[in-house]
Amino acid sequence: MKGIGVGKKGRKILSFFVFGIILIGSCTKTNEFTIGKDFVESQTRLQVIDTFRVDLSTVLLDSVITSSKKIAYIGRYEDNVFGSINCDSYFDVAYESFSEIEEKAIYDSSAFILNYTDYNFGDTTSLMSISIHRLTEKIEPYDRAYLFNTSSFHYESHATGMVSFYPEPHSSDTAVSIPVNALGEELFNLIRDKDERVSTQEWFTDYLKGFVLTSGTAENKALIGFKASSERLVMRIYYHLDKEEPEKKEITIKMGDAAHQFNNVKFDLTNTALYNIKMEGNEVPSTETGNQVFMQGMIGLLPKLRFPSLQNVLAEERWKILKAELIIEPVQYSYDLFSLPDSLYIYRTDKENRRAVLNNDESKPMIASFEFDKYLPENNRYTYDITSYINQELFDAYVDSENGLMVGLNEDKLESSFERLLVECKHPRVKLKIYYLSY
Amino acid sequence: MLKLTKTYILIIFVLILGPGAVFSQTTTSPYSIFGLGYLEGNSTGPSKAMGGTGLAFLSDRYINSMNPASYTGIDSLISVFELGLFGKYTIYSTKHENQSLLNANLKYIMMGFRITPWLATSFGFSPYSSVGYTINTTSPIEGSTLEYPKTFSGEGGVNQVYIGGSVNLIKGLSLGFNAAYLFGNITHRESSELFSYSLEDATYISNFNIDYGLNYQLDIKKWKYNIGLAYGSSKKLKTNNVTTIETNYETEVLKSRKYKYSIPQNIGAGFAVSKGFFRAGVDYEWSNWENVEFTNSYLRTRNSGRYSFGVEFPSPGLNKGTSRMVLYRFGAEYSGSYMIIDNIPINYGAITFGAGFPLKGVISVLNASVELGQNGTTKKDLFRERFVTINLDLSLWDLWFRKRKYD
Repeated sequence: MKGIGVGKKGRKILSFFVFGIILIGSCTKTNEFTIGKDFVESQTRLQVIDTFRVDLSTVLLDSVITSSKKIAYIGRYEDNVFGSINCDSYFDVAYESFSEIEEKAIYDSSAFILNYTDYNFGDTTSLMSISIHRLTEKIEPYDRAYLFNTSSFHYESHATGMVSFYPEPHSSDTAVSIPVNALGEELFNLIRDKDERVSTQEWFTDYLKGFVLTSGTAENKALIGFKASSERLVMRIYYHLDKEEPEKKEITIKMGDAAHQFNNVKFDLTNTALYNIKMEGNEVPSTETGNQVFMQGMIGLLPKLRFPSLQNVLAEERWKILKAELIIEPVQYSYDLFSLPDSLYIYRTDKENRRAVLNNDESKPMIASFEFDKYLPENNRYTYDITSYINQELFDAYVDSENGLMVGLNEDKLESSFERLLVECKHPRVKLKIYYLSY
Repeated sequence: MLKLTKTYILIIFVLILGPGAVFSQTTTSPYSIFGLGYLEGNSTGPSKAMGGTGLAFLSDRYINSMNPASYTGIDSLISVFELGLFGKYTIYSTKHENQSLLNANLKYIMMGFRITPWLATSFGFSPYSSVGYTINTTSPIEGSTLEYPKTFSGEGGVNQVYIGGSVNLIKGLSLGFNAAYLFGNITHRESSELFSYSLEDATYISNFNIDYGLNYQLDIKKWKYNIGLAYGSSKKLKTNNVTTIETNYETEVLKSRKYKYSIPQNIGAGFAVSKGFFRAGVDYEWSNWENVEFTNSYLRTRNSGRYSFGVEFPSPGLNKGTSRMVLYRFGAEYSGSYMIIDNIPINYGAITFGAGFPLKGVISVLNASVELGQNGTTKKDLFRERFVTINLDLSLWDLWFRKRKYD
């Protein structure tokens, strides 16, 4: 007889049972099994503490970088929360080797063309007035890189052009044009005569240093953002050829270096809760500002949070922090006119108010989860999972209570918008909720 | 032939060396949370169909590891290789609800043969006890009114690899021993998916253990009368604990916990009668659990007692005595287990039946049995397990010594 115990049939039976058992084994569902729960002896306790002290203050940044943001804000807005905000926008123009203007050319008109963006703050239904002025000095970025909300350059006191209009920010095919006929004619003549001032880049930028868009004579009630790019912020010189059939022609002068385009923001907090923020070294505690703290983009206001009682966690033995949540609620009724920011970042900061974006566990910037309840506004809140930050702070068994967190827009929004948030500090408090396991 | 015997040995060693893979979690019962877990018992194929009765039975064409003195009964011309599998369907009931689980696994692998006419040996691998449970519950978040889901689970158990020997001293009297190395680990874990943590308490267990056995056979006319005795002394097990807490942010090994595990003193006696292909037997086993300490505060222990009987008879008619003979078996078992929870003893009872089917054309038998039983009670807040277990035992015989001559 060949083979030992197991013949052909035996092998079949054996493999049948082995496979059968593997199949049956995989049927077992254990994740819903509850019987026996009276026998288990828990060796851990999960506790949540949300009574940690959170000290809040509003920090005013020395300056906010506003160059290269592809947006030009012009206008003024005033309320009793952030006082008056006035914004001017600077830019220069690009040199091109201009093509020859024909002999029969006759100058018609000129204008700067402004295109709307989706970013507007304030009452956009009121009459708006914008004037444009020639700069008397060249735009030189600080350290050859950045320009700030505080930067400014000299310009001619008389306007090169001016326009008043009712804004139509949501119509994409409407643009605002500021007539600059005199400047246009001057340029037209220089180009036609091949003047040396339009013959090289150097000569040209010496001659035409740049422009500032600023509020005109009317009392503006809004800050309107226009596109700032070489294609969308341009000056057009219109002329025609004097023929039997007049031929219309134009010359386009484009916005120059994006790094030279920036917004200058002037704000006045005198009549607000933050009136003394500059005197107090650009930081004022919530207790002095009506138990609210303030966030505003291009002014550069950021709420700062510190956790002076965090050290107390360390007094306990045998614990692990499983989750730490930071819950921030907006001041009720503070966002009727201005909607709440839908995405808030969080920064780690120190005594000098330097800041660095706090990342989540996937090494991406952490964004608050935002609960918005239209009907129950008291449920509106921002929640951050700051577990890894808290664990890091506690890691070396020492908590520097000067360190903290700042709540703010992402860097790009901060530098290119006037989005705002008022954080409630008392009813309810800003909560740090720590879930920890003791064993 | 020798080659194939080597194959068996190889299989055994592979399974011994990788026991985690094959022998993990052979039980699924919340009762296994206590002590060493569910005690697997050491009855094999035919005994399983007879209520686990076998203390007085001599091995014949299968290995009876319940009593090491039985090895002398192994047919002198063959080596036996045994593989056990089981599948179990359990309904767990409390006063309020029923839940059910299926589980299945390999049970044992063993081999036995005679060395000389008066000396026989067996070796193999089988579980001593096993732990396997998953209990989902909720726990309060202190400082709030909320609860969170939490899972308690356990796995592992104690395995034994043994080598036994048995000698036939004088006519009818055999003495034997099993020397086993007990090893394994028992892991209890509590964890929460929601809060991403687990506390894992793993205890590695090991020690050597020896059991002794005696069998005396008296032949009166055509009847054989057997008495079997088995004895194992109590033994403390060596433990080494590693407790680890793991969160999303760190893993920390905590101070080792001290656990005392021991196996109890065990005394068993059995009586059997047989004539031709008929046999019947009764067993009684006593284990001194009262002296074994447990760390779970819900549990109190008592000395356990197990009673069983079993009957085996051949298929009547033409096939009797031929290679096509089927052996039928039945039996019952009752065990007052060592566990007392909340003053309620946890008792076990089962009826069994089965048959040994010869595999056509090969010198092997497939022993199949069904066990219907229950464990525990729904009194107070306890639960009862009612189960159907199907045991399959493949007994492969190799005509080792006879065949070799012709190779």
